[in-house]
Amino acid sequence: MIPVTHFMIISAILFCIGLYAAISKRNAIMVLIGIEFMINAAILNFVAFGAYDKEVNGGQIVALFAIVLAAAGVAVALAIILNVYKYYKTIDPDKIHNLRD
Amino acid sequence: MPLISFVWVSTLAKRGSGISILSILCSLILSAIVFTRVWNGQPQHFQVHWFSVGSYHLTAGILLNNLSAGMILLVSGVAFIVHLYSIQYMRSDPYLRRYWRYLSLFCFSMMALVVVDNLLVLYMFWELVGFTSYLLIGFWYKRDYAVQAAKKAFIFNRIGDLGFLAGIMILLNQFGTLNITELFGDGGAISNAMIEDGVWISGTHQMPAVWLTLAGGAFFFGAIAKSAQFPLHAWLPDAMAGPTSVSSLIHAATMVAAGIFLIARIYPIFDQNILMLMVITGSITSFMAATIALVQNDLKQILAFSTISQLGFMMLAMGIGAYDAALFHLTTHAFFKCLLFLCAGAVIHQLEYFKQAAKIEFDCQDIRNMGGLKNYMPITFTAMLFASMALAGLPFTSGYLSKDSILLYSFDWASSQTGLMSLVPYLAVLTSLATTFYIARLIFKVFFGSFRQKQRIPVLEPPSIMKVSLMLLVLFCVFPMFSWNPFSVENSWILKGFSADVQVLSQSRLLHILVPLLVTFVSFALIYLASIVYSKRDGDGSVTQVARDSFIYELFYHQWFINKLYNVIFVIPLMYLSRVSSILDNKIVDGLVNGAGRSVLFLGALSTFVDRYIIDGIVNLLGSISKSIGNVTRHFQSGRVQHYMITMILLLLTFFIFKYFS
Repeated sequence: MIPVTHFMIISAILFCIGLYAAISKRNAIMVLIGIEFMINAAILNFVAFGAYDKEVNGGQIVALFAIVLAAAGVAVALAIILNVYKYYKTIDPDKIHNLRD
Repeated sequence: MPLISFVWVSTLAKRGSGISILSILCSLILSAIVFTRVWNGQPQHFQVHWFSVGSYHLTAGILLNNLSAGMILLVSGVAFIVHLYSIQYMRSDPYLRRYWRYLSLFCFSMMALVVVDNLLVLYMFWELVGFTSYLLIGFWYKRDYAVQAAKKAFIFNRIGDLGFLAGIMILLNQFGTLNITELFGDGGAISNAMIEDGVWISGTHQMPAVWLTLAGGAFFFGAIAKSAQFPLHAWLPDAMAGPTSVSSLIHAATMVAAGIFLIARIYPIFDQNILMLMVITGSITSFMAATIALVQNDLKQILAFSTISQLGFMMLAMGIGAYDAALFHLTTHAFFKCLLFLCAGAVIHQLEYFKQAAKIEFDCQDIRNMGGLKNYMPITFTAMLFASMALAGLPFTSGYLSKDSILLYSFDWASSQTGLMSLVPYLAVLTSLATTFYIARLIFKVFFGSFRQKQRIPVLEPPSIMKVSLMLLVLFCVFPMFSWNPFSVENSWILKGFSADVQVLSQSRLLHILVPLLVTFVSFALIYLASIVYSKRDGDGSVTQVARDSFIYELFYHQWFINKLYNVIFVIPLMYLSRVSSILDNKIVDGLVNGAGRSVLFLGALSTFVDRYIIDGIVNLLGSISKSIGNVTRHFQSGRVQHYMITMILLLLTFFIFKYFS
């Protein structure tokens, strides 16, 4: 049996990669992918801890639920990105700063 | 009798000359009707309740007896003639409407004055008469001296009114009523009141006897101001600044007679002391005014002083108890003095025209500039001659009857007096002679000799309306109007009407014949003298030249320095007082005010400083702090999604770190 620490290390690495991508990428789709990375890191944690709960399997269920939610979120985010592209002709998040003061 | 009230109404609301004349004519007719009913009949008395103060009820009403009926006829008669005259005289004046209004108001108040039955109402109209007189004197308000004269007249009248008011208050306090009938009628309050042991008793109320004298004195004081008697006479000569027709109506015939009328109306109140005072005042006034009139050069001034002198005569007659003679003289004087003024007005008026036509400059009122006018204005001359004869008291004129009756009464009276008082009739005779002389001087200077201006065009007679009014007045200057017997005063119907109990004049028959004879004789002599002196080409002969340098001439010419005296006594101290108070005002009051101002200014500066540097400083500090905070925080609002994300993550991280170490 693989110890839970390994899962957590991988999860942390995944999260950090996702964070880096979400913060630093100049493309909204890459940012979206970064966010997906972070969600999946969280899901991995759920699954890893869910291995200790063989009767109810709550962790597995939440993981499934979260995957579905993430898919839905990606769908919405992609739609937003499409609209943003239509409006601004770019999807660089640095160039979209109409919210500044 | 409801007709009478119409007299007031009609005189009240008048505007143009036509209406004015018409209504004064109505008044004349009505007062004539009233006169015929009331004269020598039962006195008529109406009254209505006016208002109440506490338990005191004031009634206003009309009291018509011989006195007021005679007066109202006199006033409306003279007023009518003057109105008629004014049509022509004031024709070219731009403020004609104002003139008629004032004149109507005056007539109204004068008529009301003579008929009211209540002292308070009488006082009201008394004031009103004074006020309209003020308006009319100052009618030509663009001339400075007219305004000054009006002010002077008003102030003098006010001084007298004070006396009148004081008298009213004393009477009200003592008797609790101001009704003339109740006070002064037969069996009225005054005759029931008596003096015992120095206490003046009326019913249950009593006060020290000196109050009776004081009340009389107060009324007398009011009368001398209105009738221009000695200490308060100075306003009348100045009042000549008004239009001549006004001078004629107000300052010769009617208003100045109001003082005498007042005395007649409340005659019972005057006790022995006041009567004596009246005699003294009257004789001094008449003598002084006559002497002043001797040397004046202004036509109207001479007549004004003559009026004062004649009023002095009336006052004298009142004082010696010759009540009827005084009123008789008042009546005759009203007519002939009115006539004199109207003639003077005609002369001045025509000379004004002449001046304009001939384009030369001279003073139209100065008799030294006139002369020989009888050839140009024969009708005016005749009228003036009659009036002058009446004034001088020559036989066959009305003035002879009235003036000689006063002289006779005074001789009778003096025979019962001792000391200085017995000189009064002689002073009166002297005054009478002086009167003759100055009026003769006037006539000769104005109408005889030759005209003193270079003439290219003749001076014209006044227009016919003026002539008619002059002629009407001439009628009243001759004897048949007053007495069928030109030499007997006793037959005069006015005298009989006025005197309650006919006094017997024939006490000293010899005197009665002698005095008029003597006076007439000397009068003629004086007229002759005047004709020699003044009718010459250069009116200032050697005789007058000598007289001119003397002190007496100076004294007379400057009107006994009364005006100067007033100036010294009242005006200069007043000026001094006002200067002192002005200094006080400048230095102390202003200083205080300025000091207060300055301290307020300092306080203001202080509070400005506090405000600007402390309060504003705090506020600004707060402002700048929040501004810099804002400047710092606005950098967070970059609008970039990734920045927000970093911030959130950093915050979360911080939170976790805190959570971990705590």
